[in-house]
Amino acid sequence: MDAKDILGLPKTTLSLSQDKKPRPQKESQRKPDGISREVYALTGGLAPLMPSIDIAQLKRRPQPENEKITWQWLPFSNSARKDDLQLYHWVRVVNGVPPTGDYSFSKFNKSVDIIKYTEEEYEKHLNDPTWTKEETDELFDLCERFDLRFVVVADRFPSSRTVEELKDRYYSVSRAMLNARAPSPGEVAVNPLVKDPYNVVQETERKRALSMVLSHTKQQDRKDTEVLAQAKRITESRKTVKGVVATELSITANAGADETDRTVVPADTASPSSSIQFASANVVPPISTEDSASTSATLRMLQVYTRTYALDQMVQAASASAGLRTIKRVEQTLQELGVNLKPKVPTKAVCAEHLELRKEILTLLNLQKQLQYKETEGSSHRENSQYAETPSTPPKRVLDQDRTFNPDSSGFGGERVVKRDQKRKIPGRSSEAPSSPAQSKRPRKLKASDG
Amino acid sequence: MLRSSEDTEKKVTEKPLKDMEISVPIVCGSAAFWLGKKASEFQSHKWTVYVRGATNEDLGAVVKRAVFQLHASFNNPTRSLDTPPFELSESGWGEFEIAITLHFHSDVCEKPLHLFHHLKLYPGDDSGSMSIKKPVVVESYDEIVFAEPSENFFARVQNHPAVNVPRLPAGFTLPPHVPVEDVDKRKKGDTKENPISHWYTIFSEADELLNLAAARQQVQASIARFRRQMSMIEGHNQIQNQNQQLKSSSDL
Repeated sequence: MDAKDILGLPKTTLSLSQDKKPRPQKESQRKPDGISREVYALTGGLAPLMPSIDIAQLKRRPQPENEKITWQWLPFSNSARKDDLQLYHWVRVVNGVPPTGDYSFSKFNKSVDIIKYTEEEYEKHLNDPTWTKEETDELFDLCERFDLRFVVVADRFPSSRTVEELKDRYYSVSRAMLNARAPSPGEVAVNPLVKDPYNVVQETERKRALSMVLSHTKQQDRKDTEVLAQAKRITESRKTVKGVVATELSITANAGADETDRTVVPADTASPSSSIQFASANVVPPISTEDSASTSATLRMLQVYTRTYALDQMVQAASASAGLRTIKRVEQTLQELGVNLKPKVPTKAVCAEHLELRKEILTLLNLQKQLQYKETEGSSHRENSQYAETPSTPPKRVLDQDRTFNPDSSGFGGERVVKRDQKRKIPGRSSEAPSSPAQSKRPRKLKASDG
Repeated sequence: MLRSSEDTEKKVTEKPLKDMEISVPIVCGSAAFWLGKKASEFQSHKWTVYVRGATNEDLGAVVKRAVFQLHASFNNPTRSLDTPPFELSESGWGEFEIAITLHFHSDVCEKPLHLFHHLKLYPGDDSGSMSIKKPVVVESYDEIVFAEPSENFFARVQNHPAVNVPRLPAGFTLPPHVPVEDVDKRKKGDTKENPISHWYTIFSEADELLNLAAARQQVQASIARFRRQMSMIEGHNQIQNQNQQLKSSSDL
């Protein structure tokens, strides 16, 4: 509408009469409260269904009515200035009382504390072959003027010195002064000047290296990453070769040297479980995936280890193929048999027996599983395809019927019945429920005779 | 000429033996005495942590130095012992894990071995009955295994009571070892007549072996049983399959 005004076009409503009919309803709502029409238009023009702006907030802040506020053009003085220059600015006067206090920006006038030395002190402590007294004085003056901004100081310095040289001279002078003036060396030791002295050589090197890296072109970057990746691959392949090969003389001699290289870990870092060596930390991760031949090879590489550690490694290697559940079952079986999970007297013979026992239990558990599968296969054959049970869900009916005690009870078997009962209560994990083959066979025999 | 013969000599004595591991059974433990009336808040127990040979023999022939790393709140928490018996006594109030590093003689092994022992002061079950006379003793048996010991080491400890040395295969001869030290001058390094030796546990592998053997028997019996049942079921299934085939053919 206003645009048309500006352009000088006539406001014709005839052609828009039809459109205008719904519009007047909306336009009647366009009664902006407290804000101008243009501002209201910015928010989306017409009134929104939900109030998106709290219109009350758009007004200026609530004015306390009891105070009379005026603004006055008054002079002020800045305490940070050394002269008595008086400038003027607008001041908010409340009830005729101008505000008190220093100029609010004078607190930002900070400066650096630079150590000032006298002639004698210079003679005594600060003499340096590469620096004259005039240069040192000039340096300090510039530092004070430019607040230790060494880049600026280097720029203004009469003779050309690098930033690092200037820094070095400044810091060594300050340190020398501190040490000279300090009543005792202990007090000054905390001061960063003394604690972390400026290292010129290191700094120049660092800056040079940094500029080199920054000035690398893309090509060079790519080449660098390639070289690094190759180097990594080579070191890794070397490591695996050393881990697998275990022969005599030269290899073991080399291995000794290599492993002392690898033991970078300091002695006082903590390690949680018992009898695990720090030095073998590098070697441990690949062990569990190798078979027992390479376990013994890696053990030999260690040169010295504890029997319990060796047993752990071999147990891990043996149960590498089994899942976590199976391992838990093995441990449970061990406990039922009355055997400690970790032998109390781990001699060579005991450890060997323990390992064999574990392997046999694994075999046992695998056999159990196979037996289950066979049973369910057999039962699904019989029941035609109505039930079509997958082997992983043995028919629950069979299990529920068999609450009779297994007469073939050694102490072991008896305990197993208990285990089975407990497990039956867990729903869904039917692969875990070891059905006693002897029991389920009997009712099945009856069924076979029926069918 | 001379040089090469020296080198070969050196090589022979330092050559590691394959499949001839030497094992040293040790016991790592602690004994803690409650101080009773004399106990203060920060010194309630007097305890000793030690590494001893399992049969209380001297470990000095094998172990050069034992370093015990105590809790940081102790003065000089890193305690190093260069002579056997490798034990350390302190007084304190808290239980913590002690890191023990055993450094061996140069002809034994270059690398150190790390062990851990949790210091126990308070008896777990009946915490009321802390007696001054009876210490809380926790011991754990372990064996240090040297995978490929050098001939030198082997010869040196052939007849040492603390070390388990495997029998040499026939035809293998070792140079006879001349003991270097003067036996009389050496201080007693074994722990047979230690003040706390009274409380040492005697570890025998016989019980454990029996236990394991019995368990293995049971497992093997179960395996045999399962195998039998498996073969029976397989036979059963085969018959059923045949029956089904007969049935289906008869339906036709």
